[in-house]
Amino acid sequence: MDDHASVIAMLNHTWFGSELAPETQERLAKLGTIADFETDEIILREGEEALEMGILISGRLALRTLVPERGPVTILSVEPGDIFGWSAILANTKAQSTVVATEPGKALVIEGATLRAALKEDHALAASLYPRVLSAVGRRLRATRLQLLDLFAR
Amino acid sequence: MIANPVSSPTAVARQWFLARSDLEALIQALRKSGRRVIGPTVREGAIVYDEIESAAALPVGMRDEQSAGRYRLTERSDDRAFGYTVGPTPWKRYTFPPDLPIATAHRVGSVGFDQAKLDAPALAFLGVRACEIAALAMQDRVLLGGQFTDEDFRARRKAAFIVAVQCTTSSSTCFCSSMGTGPEVRNGYDILLTEIDEGFVVQAGSPAGAAIVALLPTRRPTHAETGAAVDSVEAVRTQMGEPLPIAGIDERLKHQLDNPHWGVVAERCVECGNCTMSCPTCFCTSVTERSDMEGRTSVTERQWDSCFDVNFAKVAGGDFRSRPRDRYRQWLTHKFSSWMDQFGSFGCVGCGRCITWCPVHIDVREELQAIAPVIQPIERPVAVEPVAASPGSYSIARLASVREETEDTTTLCLTDLDPAFLAGRPGQFVMVALPAFPAVPISISRFRANGIDLTIRAVGPTSTALVNLHPGAKIGVRGPLGTFWPIEDAYGRHAVVVAGGVGLSPLHGLVEALVANRDRFESVSLFYGSRTPEDQLFREDLARWTAGKVIDVAVTVDRAGPEWKGRVGVVTTLFDMMSCDCSKVTAFVVGPERMMQASVQLLISKGVVPDRINVSMERHMECGIGLCGHCQTGPFFVCKDGPVFCLSELGDMYVREGI
Ligand code: FES
Repeated sequence: MDDHASVIAMLNHTWFGSELAPETQERLAKLGTIADFETDEIILREGEEALEMGILISGRLALRTLVPERGPVTILSVEPGDIFGWSAILANTKAQSTVVATEPGKALVIEGATLRAALKEDHALAASLYPRVLSAVGRRLRATRLQLLDLFAR
Repeated sequence: MIANPVSSPTAVARQWFLARSDLEALIQALRKSGRRVIGPTVREGAIVYDEIESAAALPVGMRDEQSAGRYRLTERSDDRAFGYTVGPTPWKRYTFPPDLPIATAHRVGSVGFDQAKLDAPALAFLGVRACEIAALAMQDRVLLGGQFTDEDFRARRKAAFIVAVQCTTSSSTCFCSSMGTGPEVRNGYDILLTEIDEGFVVQAGSPAGAAIVALLPTRRPTHAETGAAVDSVEAVRTQMGEPLPIAGIDERLKHQLDNPHWGVVAERCVECGNCTMSCPTCFCTSVTERSDMEGRTSVTERQWDSCFDVNFAKVAGGDFRSRPRDRYRQWLTHKFSSWMDQFGSFGCVGCGRCITWCPVHIDVREELQAIAPVIQPIERPVAVEPVAASPGSYSIARLASVREETEDTTTLCLTDLDPAFLAGRPGQFVMVALPAFPAVPISISRFRANGIDLTIRAVGPTSTALVNLHPGAKIGVRGPLGTFWPIEDAYGRHAVVVAGGVGLSPLHGLVEALVANRDRFESVSLFYGSRTPEDQLFREDLARWTAGKVIDVAVTVDRAGPEWKGRVGVVTTLFDMMSCDCSKVTAFVVGPERMMQASVQLLISKGVVPDRINVSMERHMECGIGLCGHCQTGPFFVCKDGPVFCLSELGDMYVREGI
């Protein structure tokens, strides 16, 4: 079992976690658990309810979506420092893609219901976490826009 | 300001000879003129400046051995009186005393303040060296050259009669020749002595000096004596060796405020303040109040202070220079940089006292070189003269081999080329022609010992014809053309290469050059994005660069099947989490224009300056040499002013719609 100090230290090494307020880092460390993944382990399935949000500490996750006649297509990889399953912040949200580990890794995983309750009751936590989540989502949105342009198309 | 002793033409022109045994006559003449004589004398194992009453007090036959943190007196084999360099006492002790009552205050009846009366004794300084004269002049500028002046200093300077002595020996700590203050005394004296074997060659530098010389039992010196005087000073310059590269150090230091070496020196520095106390130019002081028991009268005393003192920059709310490194930086940058801004010269004369008297052997010369070394001017290569430099003229190359990179991109290895092609630079291109096909511009993707590679995507008739050629085919080439990557701009910095799709082709030669010269860069990173894993160019090279770990390689694809275990996402996602100091990044970017735009925006938002972002532009080209006008973009001909541009050079023209 990782103690809180080592979880905070891990968070501090992530792009997402390093800019959070120390109190937020501490709160997240308490709310979550460290999960280890094996290669090909499925963390979340497309269409299922997103129950957990995670901050990837090491390894790589692929977000895959099923395209008729093409099978599963990886549309994005999640690299260490980034978040996944962020829709668990909203209640009753279905996962838009399947999250699968493409190499062994580690993440701080927080149960969606617990996180939502904490955010509702602790406004300082919400004020610190939401902008960071928005920044991560915005970053992904910008990248997706470029991806849509299919810049390298012939 | 103090007018330094004025040289009258006749006085300066004349030289006299004074026998060694008649030095006493000089000291007594000075004393008879109403002056106390302050000169070199031995106290507690060092030659200090103190009052002397006769020549017997001089350190005759003594020499000093000095090095960092070390001072020893030894005996000379002759009876020279000035056969040493400089001791721990700076002359400021007499022009700017270490303790000086400057005012009294009282509250008897009403409150009153009285400035201390000026009381400047008439002193003759005997044995002032060139560096010390320069130090006095520096203090003149500091204390008398501004709007507010130190009148006590002025009075003491005015009352000081300077008997300078040329240095005929130097210590390992001396660096006056580097600071331009010595070893020769050129001005600023009343009398100048040069000690030679037989006695002294004497010159007067002012009417007051000439009046004293007139009282001495002198004669005209022989040519041999004046020659020996000149030679002995020149020998000291040679003894000191090559001057330090001081020119420009003031500006160089300004860019080194965050140099980690400040912390390294500070770990050794014990902050004793010896350097500032023995420094002949340091002028910082503090005042203390001494009051009687009832607080009715008090005396304000000024004392020398040191910027190394922990309280020196303290205010009620805290300390502006709380760390030893801050205090060391303050001292060094003041001496060699901000003094220049404040007073128009360096604040160091190169006397070396701060080196000798540092108990932990810190040598300011070494620290300056470590913190602000001279940047060797970067040799910038010039483009080689292109071959066949007119439209319609081509040199013939042979296709040595063909390598398929991707489904639609092929690398042609050309050989039997004019040597000029081999002397091209990464980033340049060639115009390639086949009979019956229009010429097309193709970047040189690799320089080999006997040829060049062109990596071509089949998108039009010429490129399709080219990729379908077989080894042995003959091809018309003109070049190498255009500008190249300014690799030298990335020396000592983080070199960041951002490539998208076939954009890796014009960058390939650059990456090879970065790998080959890896030691010259702080770090080298390649961020490469392509549409799918199958669209990646130079897969073998990517694997080689990655495996060698010589540079950081990160690749990504826009989309992939489940068999792909690498990154998926656009190329910008590779470097938007970049953690290096972006102000030290030099970037090289090529890819589809929209990708370059997104990359450039992101680089700028992360703190990379436009001056350090280089892009390669693609435009319709027909001639490649600035004649046909096709490639014009604003004021530029992309073929000859580019294709490699610095972003700041492009300014508004970069990715402006419709240009
Ligand atoms: S290509 Fe002809 S002017 Fe540039």
